[in-house]
Amino acid sequence: MSKAPCNPSWFHTILHSILHPLVRASARVIAYLYPDAKRWQHRFNGGVYPQYHKSLSLQHPIKETLIPKQLILPIKLSAHQKIDLKVSVGDSVQKNQLLMAASKANKHGVIVPIHAPTSGIITAIKHTPLTHPSGLDALSIILEPDGKNQSLENALNINGQPPGEPQALKTILLNAGIVGLGGAGFPTYAKIPATQGQIQTLIINGAECEPFITCDDLLMQTQAAEVIQGAIMVAHALGTPKIVCAIESNKPAAIQAISHAAQHTIVTVQEVETVYPMGGEKQLLQELTGIEIPAKTHAIDSGLLVFNVATCAAIFKAVTQGEPLTQRLVTVTGLGLKIPYNMHALIGTPFSDLTELAQPKTPINYPLIMGGPMMGFKVKTNQVPVIKTTNCILANPPEPEQLTMPCIRCGECMEACPINLLPQQLFWHSQAHEFEKVEKLNVFDCIECGCCSYVCPSRIPLVQYYRHAKSAIKEQHAEQQAVELAKQRHEFRLARIEREKQERDARLKAKKEAVKQRKANAPEKSQPSKKSSATAAARAAAAKRAAASQKATGSSNTSQPSRASAREKAIETAKKQAAAQVGSKNTTNKDPNKNSKATAAKKAAAMAAAKRRAKQNQEHTDQEASTVPSSTQAPNSESNPKAPQAPTSAEEKRKKAIEAAKKRAAERKARQTQQETH
Amino acid sequence: MSLSPFSSSLSSPFAHSKHSIRALMLKVQLAALPALLVHIYLFGFGIVMQWLLALATLFVVEYTLLKLRKRPVLPFITDMSALITITGLVFCIPPGAPWWIIVSGTAFALIFGKHIYGGLGYNPFNPAMLGYAFLLISFPVQMTQWTLPAEVANHYITFSDAFYLIFTGVIPNVSVDIITSATPLGKLQTELSQGISAIESLAHTMPVAHDGYSSFHVIHLLFDLNSWEWLNIAFLIGGLWLLFTRSIRWQYPVGFLSSLGLMAFIFHSIDPSTYPPVDFILLSGGTMLAAFFIITDPVTSSTTPIGRFIFAFGIGVLVYTIRTWGIFPDGIAFAILLMNITVPLIDQYTQPRVYGHK
Repeated sequence: MSKAPCNPSWFHTILHSILHPLVRASARVIAYLYPDAKRWQHRFNGGVYPQYHKSLSLQHPIKETLIPKQLILPIKLSAHQKIDLKVSVGDSVQKNQLLMAASKANKHGVIVPIHAPTSGIITAIKHTPLTHPSGLDALSIILEPDGKNQSLENALNINGQPPGEPQALKTILLNAGIVGLGGAGFPTYAKIPATQGQIQTLIINGAECEPFITCDDLLMQTQAAEVIQGAIMVAHALGTPKIVCAIESNKPAAIQAISHAAQHTIVTVQEVETVYPMGGEKQLLQELTGIEIPAKTHAIDSGLLVFNVATCAAIFKAVTQGEPLTQRLVTVTGLGLKIPYNMHALIGTPFSDLTELAQPKTPINYPLIMGGPMMGFKVKTNQVPVIKTTNCILANPPEPEQLTMPCIRCGECMEACPINLLPQQLFWHSQAHEFEKVEKLNVFDCIECGCCSYVCPSRIPLVQYYRHAKSAIKEQHAEQQAVELAKQRHEFRLARIEREKQERDARLKAKKEAVKQRKANAPEKSQPSKKSSATAAARAAAAKRAAASQKATGSSNTSQPSRASAREKAIETAKKQAAAQVGSKNTTNKDPNKNSKATAAKKAAAMAAAKRRAKQNQEHTDQEASTVPSSTQAPNSESNPKAPQAPTSAEEKRKKAIEAAKKRAAERKARQTQQETH
Repeated sequence: MSLSPFSSSLSSPFAHSKHSIRALMLKVQLAALPALLVHIYLFGFGIVMQWLLALATLFVVEYTLLKLRKRPVLPFITDMSALITITGLVFCIPPGAPWWIIVSGTAFALIFGKHIYGGLGYNPFNPAMLGYAFLLISFPVQMTQWTLPAEVANHYITFSDAFYLIFTGVIPNVSVDIITSATPLGKLQTELSQGISAIESLAHTMPVAHDGYSSFHVIHLLFDLNSWEWLNIAFLIGGLWLLFTRSIRWQYPVGFLSSLGLMAFIFHSIDPSTYPPVDFILLSGGTMLAAFFIITDPVTSSTTPIGRFIFAFGIGVLVYTIRTWGIFPDGIAFAILLMNITVPLIDQYTQPRVYGHK
C-alpha cells in the first residue's frame, strides 16, 4: 500500500495531483466489482463505510428553539478549579448575561465563561450529573427561563470591527466562551496562536463523517455566509493567506451553498470522499495536504489550523454582533424517534426535553448517546444538559448484545485503522496486561475512532481495551514517578545523614586538634574572638589551661601549623568530594531529559545537592581568598574566620541542597503533567 | 457468557458492520465446493465418506472439549472454524484411506491443534496441517497410497464402494491394487531416485486410456492436464472467489505461488532432467489447496501486510525444498508448520509505519 510520507516533497505533490484523480476515478469503477477499492479513493489508511442514516434528520426543517422549563449550566468541572461566579441564587438574568467569568484552570487551561442562554431566574446552584462518559456530578447553575427571552445587546462589548491581530481576536473568543464545536471542545481562544503569520492554511471542517449527524450539513446550508465570513475573520487576524473548506461528497446541498458564499473570497471549497473518519483532524489534513502531522505535535506546529463549521459561525456572531456562545445546532435523531430534527438548542437544555419533541416510538428507557454512533458516549441519565460540544443526541433502541468471540487475527482492524496501527496486536497485549508492549505499539496515537471495533468479525470491543490500556499506562507512569520520588528522597536522606556524620566527625576532629593546640599554644593567647560556642568552649578551656601553665612554659609556635592543617585537610576532602561529584555529573549529564529513568533522576537530585555544595565551597574559598589572600597557602593565619563559621555554613548547605532537590522534583513533575495533558 | 471483560455496548462504537466469523468461515467452506465436486468426479465418493466421518468426529470432539473447557458449546461449535479444519484435512488424505485415519487425524487436529492451546484464535499451528503431519508420520503407508483417478483405474468408486473400502479395506469384486497408486509427486520422487529423469517420469503420468474412447480422455487431451491439475484448478477458482470477496488476503497466494514458481523456474532452468517444470509444480499435490485454503488461516499466520507475504513466500521455498530434496513427496504440511513457528518473529519486524511516525 502506498503511503504518503510525513512531509511530501514537491515531487510527491505533483505526482499525487496527476495520479490521484486517475486513481480515484478508476477506484470508483473497480469498486463496483471489488468493494474494497473504495478505500483507494482517499489518502489516509483504512476507514470504514458505515450506514449513515443522515436522511432521518435531514427530511425535516430546523425546528424552532425550545425554551425548556429549566436550563442546567455546569460550571465547576474539577475540584481544583477556581470559579468566578457573577450571579447568585435568586438573581434574574438576561440572555447573554455573564454568569461565570473566565478563569484559569491548572497551568495551561482556561475555563471559558458562561453566559445565560435566555432570560430568567437563577433558582439554584447545585450538583447535577455531567454530560460526560463518567456521569459524575458537577456544580451547575440552574436557570429557570421566564419565557421572555430578553437579551443584552452586544454583550461582549465589541466595536464590530474584525480584529486585525491575533490577541484581539483571542480576547473576543475567550469572552464569548467559544470552544471547538466539532466535538473536542478545546477552547478556541487557546487554540489560536498569538503571533501572526504562523498559520499558512486555515481549514474549515465540514466533513461531518459520523453517521446520523446532520447539524453541520444544515448549518452550511442555512448559514453558509456566516461560516465563510467567520473563517475569513480568523484568517484576517492571523495573517493566513489560504482557507480551504472541506465537505464530504454526501452533502451536495451544503457544497453548493458554501461554494456560493465562498465566491470571490480566499476560500476554496473542496469536496472530499465520504468515508469515516474523514472528519478527524489528522485524516482531513492528510487528505487535503498529504501532510502527516508528526507524532506528539499538533496541526498548528505544521502551520495548519482546523475549525469546525459551527465554530466559524460562532466566531462570526461573536465578532460582528458581540453575541456569546449560548446555543448551537443540535441533531436529535435515532432509530427510536418518529420525527428526528435539528434545532438551535439552548446550551443547558436537558436531553430528554429534546427527545420528547421528536416523538419517541417507544418510551426512552434506554440511555441516549451524545454524539454519533462511532465516537459518542452513553449518558448516565437522560436529563443531562446540552453542552457546547453536543452535536447530536442519538436515541437508538438497544440491540441484543452479540457474543464476543476470540480474535482470529484476520487483520480487518488493521486494514481499517486510519492511523495504521496494529489493533489486533494492541488488543492481544492489552488483554494480557502487557502495557509496555502496548505503549511500544503506539497506543497513544490511537484516536479512538472505532473503525477497528466496527469491522471486527469477532465483535471485540477493541477501543474499550485501548482506553483501558491507556489509563492503566498513565496510572503506571504516575505510580512510577511517585516511587521514584520516594526513592530519591530516601537516598537523599541517607546521603545527608552520611554527610552530616562526616562533617560532624571532621568538626570534632578539628575541635580536638584545636583543643590540643590551644593547650600547647596557651601563652600566645591573642586570638580574635570566635563566634561558635564550640570553639568558644574550647577556647575557654584552652585559656584556663593557658592561664595555669603561663608561668611554666614558653611559647611553642611549632604545633600551630598542625592544627591548621587538620582544618585544611577537612576542607580539602570536602572540596575533593565536591569536585568528584561535579566530575561525575559532567559525565552522566550527557543524556539530559531522561526523566523517566529512576537512576537518572536520582543522580540529578544528588548532583543538584553536590553542585550547591561545590558552589558554596567555592564561595567559601573565594571568601577566604578575598579576606585572607594567603589562607590556603598560609592557613596558620589566626584571623581566618572560616573555622568558626563551619557548622552554620554546613547547615546552610544542607538547606540549600534540600531546596534545590525539591525544586528539581517540582520542575520534573510539572514537565510530566504537561506532557500528559498534551 | 462473554469471554471479554468488557461489554460491547458500554462504549463507542455503537455501530457495527455485518462481518462475523461465521460468515467468513462459511465463505471459505463454499469456496471449497468446486474442488469437492471435481474430487468426487475424479476420485469417486471416497471423499464424501471421509468428510462425513470427519464431521461426526468433529461433533464428538468439539462437544466433549468445549464441555471440558467449560465453554459455551453452541456458539463455538457453530463458529465453523472446525469445519474449515476438517475440510483442509479431508482433501489431504487419500480418499480410500481406512476410517481410523480420518478419525484419528481429525481428533488430533482439533484436540492438539486447537483446544489444547485455548481454542479458536490461540493456536500457534495450523490444526489441519498438524493433523496431516501426524498422520503422515504415523501411518506413512496408508497416507501415500492414493486412489487412482477413475479413468486411469477404469473403475468409478461409488458411495457404497467407498463405504466398503474405507471400513473393510476391500471393495467387493474389485482389486484394491488396481485402483490405488502413488500420487504423481510421490511417483516422480521414487522414479527420480531410481534414475529416471523428470521428463520421462512426467510423460508416464499423462493419462492413458485403458480401453477405447472416454470423455475424460478427450478433455485431457484437449487441455493436456492430468486429474491433479484439474483439482488444483478447482481450488484456484474457489480461491479467486475468496480473494474477490476479501475473505482471504492476496499476500498469501501471491507470496506462496510466486516463491514456489520462482524456485521451480530456477531449478528447472538449471537442470530440466532432474527438476520438473513450473506448471507441474504449481498444479500438483496440494499446491492450490495450500495457497488459498490452508496458509490463509489468519490465526496461525502473520498479521502485518508485509509479514503475510514473507510468511507465504517462506512456505513456498520450504515446500519446494521438501518436495525436491526431502523424503516426503509433498512438503506442504511441514513447510506450513515450520513457518508457523516464525510468525511472532515476522510480526515483530514487519510492523507498518504508524501515522506521524518516521
